[in-house]
Amino acid sequence: MTIEEQIREIMARITHVDGSIIRRESTFKDIKADSLDVVQALVAVEETFGIEIPDEEAQKFQNFGDFVSYVENQVAQKEKV
Amino acid sequence: MSLEGKLALVTGGGRGIGRAIALKLASQGADIVINFFRRRDTAEQTAKEVQALGVKAEIIRANVGDPAKIDEMFGVIGDKFGHLDILISNAASGVGRPIMEVDVKAWEWTMDINTRACLLCSQRAARLMEGRGGKIVSLSSLGSFLVWPTYAVVGVSKAALEALTRYLAIELAPLGICVNTVAASFVETEALKFYFDEQLGKDKLPITPAGRMVTTEDVANVVAFLCSEEAFMIRGQTIIVDGGFSIYNPLSVLERKD
Ligand SMILES: NC(=O)c1ccc[n+]([C@@H]2O[C@H](COP(=O)([O-])OP(=O)(O)OC[C@H]3O[C@@H](n4cnc5c(N)ncnc54)[C@H](OP(=O)(O)O)[C@@H]3O)[C@@H](O)[C@H]2O)c1
Repeated sequence: MTIEEQIREIMARITHVDGSIIRRESTFKDIKADSLDVVQALVAVEETFGIEIPDEEAQKFQNFGDFVSYVENQVAQKEKV
Repeated sequence: MSLEGKLALVTGGGRGIGRAIALKLASQGADIVINFFRRRDTAEQTAKEVQALGVKAEIIRANVGDPAKIDEMFGVIGDKFGHLDILISNAASGVGRPIMEVDVKAWEWTMDINTRACLLCSQRAARLMEGRGGKIVSLSSLGSFLVWPTYAVVGVSKAALEALTRYLAIELAPLGICVNTVAASFVETEALKFYFDEQLGKDKLPITPAGRMVTTEDVANVVAFLCSEEAFMIRGQTIIVDGGFSIYNPLSVLERKD
């Protein structure tokens, strides 16, 4: 599974929406994720990929795609080290 | 009131009331472990301020809502220091919703962080306090008994925390551990902005009979007192820091006909 697919699955599990409606351009609102859902998704993603997503960064995510790109970057950087 | 040579863990110690407590205990000579969850920068900043007071500071990231993370955090403290003298159970979160919208997820999230974490941290702390005694202070709020809109889950979690404090106080007394809670009214922090509209002007915030809002330092002062030997005989209490807010009778505004 790609990083994007894994994050989509996590989001869908937490917000109880069908994963197929979660697109890169979907906002958290589109996915029906309230602030608690977002925190829980961040925590789950951090644990899945062994990374840390500071609040300051998470607040910049405009949509699902931003979230995925950030994680992809972090994972790539981690692999380089 | 010297805490020299003592080691204190402050959960959620990076900002707000936790930060004020960390700085107050540090100013009395205690080394500080600052636990944080999502704000590493803020925790690092507070750690620097603590170190500037001439004591040691460590930061540990842990979601106290997750028992495994609490275990890891105490594992680190145990390995690094081998003991603990003071636990401040301050970290809190919550979901502000009317009671009909409170679901299982919101309930568990709040209870796990605000109440269960205090139990689990106290159990782990008590082991690190063995043979030396210790102090445990948790942070509650007036919402444990005063009803505020959308504060239901947090209020209930705090009521349970106060009850937990009494049980801990009695059962940990034979180990020489003093356990108490400090309950504050509105304190100017981010939490306040979260629950109440940011636009709510300062002038509209409920001013206390004492004439001003409670500050984070007001709360930290009382927490520090409970961590001192002077407070040795105070056990299982919830000490209210609210400038008289909760005992003020709103009917006092009525003028009496003589
Ligand atoms: N502010 C008030 O008016 C008021 C009134 C009465 C009582 N209190 C009580 O006083 C305490 C501190 O309040 P505050 O206003 O200073 O809070 P705050 O500004 O909202 O800060 C919350 C703190 O808790 C930490 N935290 C949240 N969830 C956590 C988790 N799962 N694991 C570990 N840490 C977590 C945060 O860490 P990060 O910084 O890493 O996110 C932050 O340090 C709380 O127990 C609160 O209920 C506050």
